[in-house]
Amino acid sequence: MTATAIPTDLQPVEPGYRDALRARAASFWVPLFVASLIVNATALADTPFSGIVPAVIGLIGLSGILVAPDRIYRRLGYAIDGRFLRTVRGWLFHTDTVVPFVRVQHIDVTRGPFDKMFGTATLVVHTAGTHNSIVSLPGLSPERAAEIREAIRSEIRADAE
Amino acid sequence: MNEAAALPADHDLLGPPERLHPLYLLTGLGQALRGAWGMLAAGAYFAAQGSWLIVGFMAVLFVLLSVGSLYLKWLKLEYRVGAHELRIDSGWLNRTSRVIPFDRVTDVDLEQGPLHRLFGLARVKLETGGSAGGKEEEGVLHTISLAKAEALREHVRARKGLAPAAVASATETEGAPLFSMGSKRVLTAGLFNFSLAVIAGLFGLSQTMGDALGFDPFERQFWIDLFARSGPVRDLIMAHRIGAAVAGSILLVLLGIGTGLARTLLREHGFRLDRTGSGFRRRRGLLTLTDVTIPAKRVQAAILATGPIRRSFRWWELKLQSLAQDGGKGDHVVAPLAREEEAGNILDSLRWPIAPGSGTWLPVSRAFVTSFIGILIPAAIAAIAVTPFLGPVGLLWIVGGLAAIGARWFDWKRTRYALGDGALFVETGWWRHRRSIIPMRKIQSIDLAESWWSRMFGICTLRLGVAGGSGFSDHHVPALSRPDAEALRAELLA
Repeated sequence: MTATAIPTDLQPVEPGYRDALRARAASFWVPLFVASLIVNATALADTPFSGIVPAVIGLIGLSGILVAPDRIYRRLGYAIDGRFLRTVRGWLFHTDTVVPFVRVQHIDVTRGPFDKMFGTATLVVHTAGTHNSIVSLPGLSPERAAEIREAIRSEIRADAE
Repeated sequence: MNEAAALPADHDLLGPPERLHPLYLLTGLGQALRGAWGMLAAGAYFAAQGSWLIVGFMAVLFVLLSVGSLYLKWLKLEYRVGAHELRIDSGWLNRTSRVIPFDRVTDVDLEQGPLHRLFGLARVKLETGGSAGGKEEEGVLHTISLAKAEALREHVRARKGLAPAAVASATETEGAPLFSMGSKRVLTAGLFNFSLAVIAGLFGLSQTMGDALGFDPFERQFWIDLFARSGPVRDLIMAHRIGAAVAGSILLVLLGIGTGLARTLLREHGFRLDRTGSGFRRRRGLLTLTDVTIPAKRVQAAILATGPIRRSFRWWELKLQSLAQDGGKGDHVVAPLAREEEAGNILDSLRWPIAPGSGTWLPVSRAFVTSFIGILIPAAIAAIAVTPFLGPVGLLWIVGGLAAIGARWFDWKRTRYALGDGALFVETGWWRHRRSIIPMRKIQSIDLAESWWSRMFGICTLRLGVAGGSGFSDHHVPALSRPDAEALRAELLA
């Protein structure tokens, strides 16, 4: 299936984000796969289910590491339009979020270990209210994240004055 | 905004990076201890087993780990106070850089625990009303010196252009408080804070663990041991099994009252509410002092609440709903126990009415009760059908159902609404009675909600969306007939 790319008016995030996602998926699936191998060898070796569990986990893990990150990356886009931040993501669960800058209460830029390894950062904006109040945009370069943060900050200031 | 000129104009200019006060290593320890219940429980278990070596090892490990992690946190946390925002960089593996624009700060809380007070420190919390109902900490500086904390607060106020000069002088020469509570009032409030939950918890504990702990006030042996030297009481308890039950109940009730008193005293001691130029300032606490400012502009709704016993003494609790939460515990309490006039005074300083001056209270539809009875009919039929087989249990069902209908009827008597002085007043509930006061211009959305069941009775619920608050403060008018609801909505939107 050819992936329909994100709408053309949106910008993609850093390609490094793919690798960060791969590393994160690997850090979850590889230990799980090893554990399933051990369980298979110790507890399931003599049963008819021998080999099934590692095979299933290995398949899901491989697709999670090799296939999924690319698709997540391809379907993640954002746009900055002076007064709005728009993020679009997902295929099965597609979300298209628009946050007016003036509604932002505070802003985080976070970087986990994998982000640091692959030069990405996540921008998190918090809006008021209880429902859907945290909008995050992963996979930005730290400089870009700081730039967007600056744009939001000056918009908030202009709003207040 | 002439203050802004005095501050650095360049918005990129942030102050120099600062760390928390080094005594954070000490003050943070209490929090680490609270987070280590499992460890404490294991320690108690090993201590009971007499394995002191393991206990000692665990204690050393715990201190090393928590001090180490606190040190790391301290080392990795830097904050900068800028002209327009506060920036906090924290975390080691997961590094977060948070920016909180001062324009978005709704209130500044200063909190001082016993250790903080000893060393002249404070915990500063900037609330912006963001991040999902205050579950997450927003802008918290756990331990900085009190002077710095106060300076930061003044700085935030100045940035918001909220008459900083008046506020600064107000801190030195204070006028009469808008509302304050003496120790007698605090104790009265404590009596009403009678904790049924504690009683239920203790009852359960004494029933399940009583034998193992040697504490079961419902066993005669407990009282026999306790009163071993006082003959008559022992004889009484020896003679009557019921005596133990009564004494046990009294003990639990006393414990419930005592818990309520202690909790209230700890929280509300020295309660004082001041009206500052821009809002309210609330100070309270016995061991942990809190100092909260609530900007008047951000107040969205007021809630007057009372309980069945409190109401007969004509006491009310006044809460203000603002964008931010009161330390994650819902709305800001500005008067824990007050007469209606006192609450009226507080609201009057906002120029809000406490009761409709013009306009009259209107009742809601009787279907409030009848639709409820309708729901109970199938249950009632079932109860009557099984009564011959179950006997007393079935009767209990019927009595319970009748009690529920009675309570619902009392609820209906107490439910009313009024529109006047530019605000909507809604009173609901009999057991937990509350009056919501919502200025019309603070209403963000209006829902008319009806279910297939309520539609059969021709009623619907008018739900009012008001910014801030939490699940606790849902404002609605129940059981309005459809035309009434539509008329009310039209009037509110006008």
